[in-house]
Amino acid sequence: MKLPLKYNVKSLFVRRGNTLMTVASIALVVLVFVGVLAMASGLSLSLRASGNPLNVIVLRDGARSETESAFDKERQRAVQALEGIATDVGGQPLASAELVTLQIFQRADGKESNVSLRGLGPAGTALRPQFRLTGGKMFEPGRGEVIVGERLAQRFPRLRLGERVEFGRLEFHVVGVFTTGGSFDSEVWGAMEDFGNAFRREDVSSVLLRAATPEGVEALVARVEGDQRLRLQAKPEIEYYADQTTATAGQFVALGSGLAVLMALGACFAAANTMYAHVAARAQEIGTLRALGFRRRGILGAFVLEAALLGLVAGVCGAVLALPLNGMSTGTTNFVTFSELSFTLRTSPAVLLQGVALAVVTAVLGGLPPAWAAARRPITALLRETG
Amino acid sequence: MGKLAWRNLLRNKRRTVLTIGSVATALLLLSLLMSILAAMERAEGSADNRLVVRHAVSLTFDLPEAYWQKLQPLQHVQASTPLDWFGGTYKDDRPQNFFAQFACDPATFRTVWPEYRFEEQEYAAFAAERTACVAGAALAAKHGWKVGDRIVLKGTIYPTDLELVLRGTYTEPSAPAAEKQILFHRQYLQESLGNPGTVGTYWLRLDSPQSIPAVVQTAEALFVNSSAPVRVETEKAFQLSFLEMLGNIRMLFGAIGLAVIVSILFMVANTLAMAARERTREIAILKTLGFRRPALMTLVVSESMAIGLCGAVLSLLLAMGLLGGLGRFIEDFFPVFGSVRLTPAVGATVLALGAVIGLVTGGFPAYDAARLRIAEGLRRLA
Repeated sequence: MKLPLKYNVKSLFVRRGNTLMTVASIALVVLVFVGVLAMASGLSLSLRASGNPLNVIVLRDGARSETESAFDKERQRAVQALEGIATDVGGQPLASAELVTLQIFQRADGKESNVSLRGLGPAGTALRPQFRLTGGKMFEPGRGEVIVGERLAQRFPRLRLGERVEFGRLEFHVVGVFTTGGSFDSEVWGAMEDFGNAFRREDVSSVLLRAATPEGVEALVARVEGDQRLRLQAKPEIEYYADQTTATAGQFVALGSGLAVLMALGACFAAANTMYAHVAARAQEIGTLRALGFRRRGILGAFVLEAALLGLVAGVCGAVLALPLNGMSTGTTNFVTFSELSFTLRTSPAVLLQGVALAVVTAVLGGLPPAWAAARRPITALLRETG
Repeated sequence: MGKLAWRNLLRNKRRTVLTIGSVATALLLLSLLMSILAAMERAEGSADNRLVVRHAVSLTFDLPEAYWQKLQPLQHVQASTPLDWFGGTYKDDRPQNFFAQFACDPATFRTVWPEYRFEEQEYAAFAAERTACVAGAALAAKHGWKVGDRIVLKGTIYPTDLELVLRGTYTEPSAPAAEKQILFHRQYLQESLGNPGTVGTYWLRLDSPQSIPAVVQTAEALFVNSSAPVRVETEKAFQLSFLEMLGNIRMLFGAIGLAVIVSILFMVANTLAMAARERTREIAILKTLGFRRPALMTLVVSESMAIGLCGAVLSLLLAMGLLGGLGRFIEDFFPVFGSVRLTPAVGATVLALGAVIGLVTGGFPAYDAARLRIAEGLRRLA
């Protein structure tokens, strides 16, 4: 015969104050864990949203990011003349030669960060279908105009719509705000030639290509890397951003896991304490149950279940506490590109579930020794105990 | 009375041990966080009379080599040297193989960083050979390098690979992080790039920290209308600027720390409430025997203080043990920072926190005990 679940639920209520304190301490552990994971998840979402499955990015051999990459326009033109690149309605190849530079700007909190300035070729926005303007108008090449990513505008007071900003040795006018839903939202976009003039740069950082067909992506990569004269490397754009995700979000995941293990260990002790108290208070009750014919195994199961319930309640409480973090916006530096990357925290279902799972595991681990102790004691000893 | 408090602690050994365990793990976490933060903000090895000159736009832009001749004669500047961050990869991309690589000018490097300790013969051998390099003692030990070993660095920022020969090691006792770098000839890098004549940063050593504002102003003014305007800042500000880029670490760690502290308060308060409930009758008996309120409160609080302090001491011992191994892992992971170690300030803070936790969590049951009416207490079942 099994003990009904109701028995466990009710017994958690009997020692309400005690249960509540333990729930609160485990819930806080869940809150911290979910918070850090939400940062990692928001960060990787922002980077992953930047790649398009048909796009191929071309960089200088050996460079890990567009910031480090630079090559001359002769090689850039050779890349754009390669076979297998999709064309637009006018028959022009869908390729954008881009110049990415960094400039220091002050954040709203008074500290400084490197901001990515991206000079695009004419096809630059067509290659990024998620692109749309949310305010103002599109920049026109040759007129010293730029548009800024939505997130950047929030974090950098000098990079807002209507502001005049110096980039390099020229003054630019912020004429629009845009979003792509990805890491580009932390960049300033303008025409490649304009940024070239401002920074006296004759070269380009990268070329973004659109493959004509999904099967053509690999072929295009092979064509760039196979050309010994180019000394360039090509990567599917998705892969380029996935590598940055591992490098950047990995730090947060490691931090979150380290914190979780330590905090959960502390909470484990607390759960054990609570469950020991529950067991001690019910010695007579357990003895009676055993006398009535309930097995040791049943008693053990009942107390483990009770601990699991405690953890579940705590996990759900912690997850609910963490919900307001969703959508909170913050930023860090992507150390692969060495530039500002703003993102919003994402308490996705997967992240919340991980939090709840941590709480249940913590409580069950803490509850096992007391449950074991309860099941092992002889009936006579249990019945002899006073309240 | 002290003996009674001690006996009380031992009455339910398991409970006491579990509570101390939860306090210790939580405080261990806090001491690790504080140590990391302290290591980040210490800006280790930065001298207060050293300035860095870099391109005003960002570190991705270089300065002309010709600037050196204009910076060296400035008033208050005692020594100056160029330095480039190479940032190449050694073996592979993994973070544990990352280390700082600088292209320097061996003839002037030591005039700006006199605190680096070299073997004179080794330094002479390094200075005399174009492809030679010197490595910090810690870095050489980590990778098992011996003098004469070849070290190949693959360029990422610069489109060139360098083949270096190790000619010596150095130590820098005041900044363990500085011992995790490698230094080689700027001349070698320039030549393999086709002599572009550019420099990443210039470093100046001034006669005294008081000269900083004047030198910053004159140096910046010198190039304000040139093609490469400069930004001049102290070594410490330069190091901290990398930390600032990471975002609001201080707030993140602060929020985590607060959650941890509140969480311990719940745990310990819970245990002590359990303990106090069991003892209501005893306290009533002690009162009957004539013990005064202050004495009873001390009894209860000393028990919780003992738990808090034991937890704090245990956490510090664990932190010291862990930081030996874990510190190296953390440094590999966040390579821009100094060495992570337990500082006296962190130790004192954790001890104080342990005492505060004891005081706060013991406070409520102590107050209850003091207020307890004897008759009521005696009537209660334990």
